[in-house]
Parts: sequence; C-alpha cells; structure tokens
Amino acid sequence: MQASKLGKNTPINPSDLQDDVICKRRWSGLRRLTYLTIFVLLIQAFYFGAVYAKETKETNDNQVTYTDFTLNIGDRIDIGDYQVELIDIQSLKDGIALMQVSKVGGALDEQRAFLENHANNLEGGSENNGITITVTDIPDDQSAKVRIEYQEGLGTPRRHASERPVAPPDKPILSVQESFDRNQMNVGDEVKVTIAVKNIGTGQALDIKAEDTPPLPEFSYIAGYPPKIKETLDPGESDSAVYLMSAVKEGSIRVPAIQVSYTDAKKNARSNNSEPFNVLINPKSKANLAIELTSPGPIPLGGKGVMNVSLSNMGTATATRIELAGEIRPPEGLEVTGLDRSFFEILPEKRVNYSAVLSGKSPGNYTVRLKASFDGGDGAMIQEGTTEVVVLEQEYKYQYLLLIIPIIVIIAWMYRRYKEYKY
Amino acid sequence: MLNVLMLGVGQCGNRILDAINKESFGGGGASRLAKYCMRPKFPSRVETLAVNTAVNDLKELRFTTAKDRLHVPNLHGVGANRNVGKQAFMDNRDMIMGEIEKRGDFDVAFVITSTSGGTGSSFSPLLINELKRQYPRITVITVAVLPFREEGSIYLQNAAFSMRELMEVDAEGIILADNQYMKRYSGDIASAYDKINNMIAQRLLFLIESLDSEMLSVTDLGDFKTVMNGGLRIGTMGFYQADGKNPSVKDAIENSLKPGNLLYPANVSEDAARAMIIIQGSREHLDVDQITKEVEKLSASAGHVFKGIVIKKGYPKVLSVFTMASAPELESIYAQAARGMQDEKEKRSRSRKQLDDAFAHIEDLEEIY
Repeated sequence: MQASKLGKNTPINPSDLQDDVICKRRWSGLRRLTYLTIFVLLIQAFYFGAVYAKETKETNDNQVTYTDFTLNIGDRIDIGDYQVELIDIQSLKDGIALMQVSKVGGALDEQRAFLENHANNLEGGSENNGITITVTDIPDDQSAKVRIEYQEGLGTPRRHASERPVAPPDKPILSVQESFDRNQMNVGDEVKVTIAVKNIGTGQALDIKAEDTPPLPEFSYIAGYPPKIKETLDPGESDSAVYLMSAVKEGSIRVPAIQVSYTDAKKNARSNNSEPFNVLINPKSKANLAIELTSPGPIPLGGKGVMNVSLSNMGTATATRIELAGEIRPPEGLEVTGLDRSFFEILPEKRVNYSAVLSGKSPGNYTVRLKASFDGGDGAMIQEGTTEVVVLEQEYKYQYLLLIIPIIVIIAWMYRRYKEYKY
Repeated sequence: MLNVLMLGVGQCGNRILDAINKESFGGGGASRLAKYCMRPKFPSRVETLAVNTAVNDLKELRFTTAKDRLHVPNLHGVGANRNVGKQAFMDNRDMIMGEIEKRGDFDVAFVITSTSGGTGSSFSPLLINELKRQYPRITVITVAVLPFREEGSIYLQNAAFSMRELMEVDAEGIILADNQYMKRYSGDIASAYDKINNMIAQRLLFLIESLDSEMLSVTDLGDFKTVMNGGLRIGTMGFYQADGKNPSVKDAIENSLKPGNLLYPANVSEDAARAMIIIQGSREHLDVDQITKEVEKLSASAGHVFKGIVIKKGYPKVLSVFTMASAPELESIYAQAARGMQDEKEKRSRSRKQLDDAFAHIEDLEEIY
C-alpha cells in the first residue's frame, strides 16, 4: 500500500529505507526484556503466596469459631467427635431445652438441660479444644436455636435431621371472635354481644379465661357479663358466651380486642386476641317537630290575613298526640281563628300544613307564638314557633279622592250644564 | 198636573221665555249661576221653546237650554218684514211643528210674542193656527207685547196688522202687555225691558201654579178659558204682593186691579168683561169675608169674577186676570199706526217724486264717452 502510495505520489529515498530497518531492530530487543521481567515477578509472587498460606493455615486451626443451628427435636449436630442432639423442650416459658451430648469413643454420653442463653462447655469448652453449646432461643416447644463454638481444627459442624417421624405437637390454639348483632344502633337500643372461642390447635387448652375488660362506658350491661367460657377446650371444640347490653351514649365506639388466655398441657401460657372493631351509636330515635309560621305580611286595620302553618317532623320517630296552642302578644288588637289544632300523628319526614286567619283590630306589632306539645318517642316534648305580624295604621292613601272626586263631579256637572245651555 | 207649552217667538218672546226659565230657578240675581247647580222648577210640567229666525237673538238667551232654542233658518232674521217672516214660517212649518210635537201633549199653550217685530208678529198668528189645527183640544193663549210708540212706524204697522191677525185666529184669548205703559217703571229702555219681561214671567208662572194647585176656592183651566173668552177676548193681568206693613188681603186685591199694577193700561171698573182673582197667602191673612166682598164689588162692574184661593205661607199675593169689553188704547195704537203708515206713504211719494224730478234732468240724454 505504502509502496503503491509512494509509487504514485513520491520517489523512494534509499537512505530513509535503511533508517527504518535499524529502528525496528531496537524495538524488538526492548520488548523481550520487558516480558522477562514480568515473568520473574510472577514467579516471586507465587512463592511468597504459598509460604504465607501455609503459615495462616497453621494459625487458623487453633482459632475458635461458631456456627448457629436451628434444631427440631431429634435433630443432631456432628462436629469432630462430638454429637449434640435436641431431645426435648422442657420449658418454653423458662427456656430449658434437653439435649443428648456424646463423644465418639464413649468418653462423653449424657443428657443435659440447657438454660436459654447460658453457655455450656464440654471438655473444657472451645478454648481448650472442646466445644461450647449455647441455646440462644426456644421459639416453640419443638425447636431451639443452638450455637456451637469450636476450634476450626475440629472441622466443620454438620446438622443431621432426625430420621424419626416428627410427632405432631400437642399445641392448643384458641381463636377468639367477638361480634355485635349490629354495627349501628341508637341510644337505648339493646345489643347482643357474642364471644366465640374455638380451639383450632392440636392440644387441649386449659385454664381458659376471657378478659373482656374494662366495661365500655358507652353501654350499660344488662345480662351475661362478664362472659364465661369453658375452662377447657379440646382440639376442635368451641364455646361461646353471649351477653346483653344497652347503648347509653352516642358516638363512634372502638370495641377493643378480647384477650383469651390459656395454657397447654405443659402449662405453657398462651393467649390470643380478637380483632377490635367499630360500632356506631346514633342518638336516640325521637321526633323533632319543626314549626314554620309564615306571616301574612302587613294587615290593614280591620282587614284580614292568612297565616300558613307548617309542621315538619324532622326526627326519626313519629310524633303523636300533637296539640297546637297559639298565643298572641300583646293579646289585644289581633284576633286569630283556626290556629289551635290537634293532630293524631306526624310520621318522620312528613309535613302537615294548615292556615289560620288573622284579623287586625288595632294597629301595632304582634308576636304570634305557636306551641306544639307532643309525644316524640322519648316522652313528652314541646316545640315553639313564632312570627311577627304587623297591623297597619289606618291608611289615608286615597283620602284626597274624597275632595277631588266631588270637585270633578261638580266640574263635570257644571260643564254638562254649560253645554246644555250653550247655544 | 197641567201640561204647559210656552213658546217664545221672536226676540221679545225669546227674552220673556228666558225670563220664565230664569224664574224657574228662583229668579233674582242668584239665578245667574243657579242653572249650573239647580234644576228648573216649574209649578207644572212646563216645556219651553224659543223660536227665532235671528240666531244672535237665540244666543243671547241665558236660562233656556240649547235644545229649547229653535233657529228657523232665514239668513239673519226677517228684518221686521212680516211678509218675509210669514214665508219663512211656511217654509219651516214642519220643522217647527215637529219640534213642538217632540215635547208631547199639552193642556195649554202660551204663545209669547211681540206684535211689532218681524219674526214674532209674522210667525205667531200662523203658529197659533197650526197649533189649533194640530191640537184642537188645547187652550192657546197669546201673550202679546205692544211696542214702544216711538220705536218707529214699521213696528206700529206690524203691531196693528199682527194684532188684527191674532184676534182673527182661533185662540182662546190674548193677554196684552204694553211696553209703552210699563216703561214708567224704569228710566232706561234696557232695564225697562228686563223688568217688563220679569213681570210677565212672574205673573204667568203664578197663573200656572194657581191653576194647578189645590185651592180653597176652586178656579181651573176651564174658568181661565171662560174668562179669556169674555169681551174682546183681549185681557191683561194685574199683580200685587202685600207686605208686613199692610198684609190686608182686601187692599191686595184692590191694588192688583189698579192701573199701576196692570200690564196694559185699562180701567177695570169700566173696561172689564170677565175677571179671575187668584189669591195666595197664609191662612191668617186670608179673610174670606173681605175676599168675598171685594169679589162682589168687582163683579158689579165686570159681570163675572172667578176667585181662587191658594193657602201658602206668606203675605197675600193677588193675581187678577180680566178680559176687556173695550180697549181704547188699542184704538189709539191703530190710529197712530195708520198715521205712521200714511206718513210713510207720503214720504215715499215725495221721495219718488224727487227722484223722478232728478231723473228728468237726464231724460232724452245719452251717455257720451
């Protein structure tokens, strides 16, 4: 390419070609020297690495390390000549696990009770070429968490699962459910509370106690409280307690969880809670009559006006035996007819209208008060409505006509006579 | 109740009719505005109608309603020419009689007119004839007014011919009123006219009221007709109203017959043919004996006297109506009229002769241009 290129464009110089060959030879010698140096350095690195690894291994063989295991009953850990097997959980409450500890050769073969979080040294412990065993946790009565501390020289501990079939644990589990027969109620309503407990576990539940305390202040307890549950429930067995109470105070109520406490056959104390929930207590159902009086506007003296009366039951209960009595202040000067009425009942959200006639006898401002007494579902109730009525002064608006009309008549008469005589 | 038709014909008749309408409002100065606030109150059912060929004369009326003013279209009057007036009446006779017919049926009609004017003197005889022709049962009385003597020869001439025609028609009588005679009541002509008109109006209404009233002593329309048929069938009326100073009914009767209280100059004791005395007043002032004595006294000279007494609160008022057996004043008027006509004739002859003499100067001459 280059020759071709040169051939096309530039004539070749023989001295330049000789310098290029000399330069290439120098570069080749330098590259060989570099490769040789790198090779020597790598040989040294391997050598020192092997020496250092050997020294470290000798040190680590005497170093104490540990490994955590979770053992079910029957599971075993082998490390060196030692074997550690979880036999039983003696007390979940007290944190005591029973383990079989042995050493190949029969030098050690015994059962020991391990207290939770207490280290147990075998043959001097891990510092002295033995092992140290600590039960770090007993989550249930079937398993335990175990830490084995040892020198690395003993090798790596291995867990062997138990080949024995795992016996189902006799563990009672109580489900608790509390329910009201309604989520919304009015003050005064009775509500039935049911507490249902069922043993959904495999063991018998003993000493069952339902703690439904403290009593809710929004209710008065009528019967069946505190709830009583069987003290013993076999697996699958259930029991319930019902009590009756009455809502006494309106509001949104948070019903707290009921705690059921019990023990299993090993006297392990257990408990369970129901789910808390809300109920709403509405105000007590009662009638609420709204009285609306519509004033007829100013009434001329001696005139009449019609006042409309509207009774609306805005409450939730029927108003019965409604007696309406009107009163006018001041009592003289305004007469009313048809204001006093009585109605048998007004259903909730219903309206009753009627009218009364007002007669203005003397001018002034009057207050018409209508008092409704009724049975509103919570005993006798009274509601009042008022309105203002004005009786106007005598109007003399067109009195000028008394003067003008005769004048017009006279003028018309005279004009007529004028025309009659005009010739 | 009497049904009365009062027709005022011509200027004089219109004004007397207007005075009658004014009296119906109570008379006096207050009646000027009374027409605007009162109804005319006639003693009987009175219908009035003013007839004239001069519309200006009709416009001057104040108390006569427009519907009671009948203009007979003949330019502006007849110019005191009775012949023109007669032609105008004949041309408009149906219209005039139609207006009268609209006013219903009547018992008595008074045709009030001047004897000297144009319209009244020419219309009245023809009108009376038509009334009697169409309403033969009604009583027609002419109230004719004689002119001032100094008003001129034509008026006297008209009075003379008109009076003759009025006496020839089939009316029940003529009541005369003489302006010349009554001129003495007032110094100037205008106020004299008013007073004369008021006097005539007052007496006519008194007469109508009396004829239509419950009387203590009865006179009625029949008696009135009988009186008017007496003598020349020309009569006149006297009136007197007593006062507190002299409430005597005897004096009131005597005063009503005195020439000074008559509408036409007459001597009752000598000229009266029949008479009617109507006395009105409170009972305590009406002494029947005195009334009877006075009536008997009048009867001795007048032949027959009807008397009527109307009890009405007030001092005695006496209306005397009588017809005359002789009318010397009329003769005087006719003589004066004849003289006037003769003078007129002679003047006209002299004027004609003078004119002919003047024309004689240019006789046989031709116009030269």
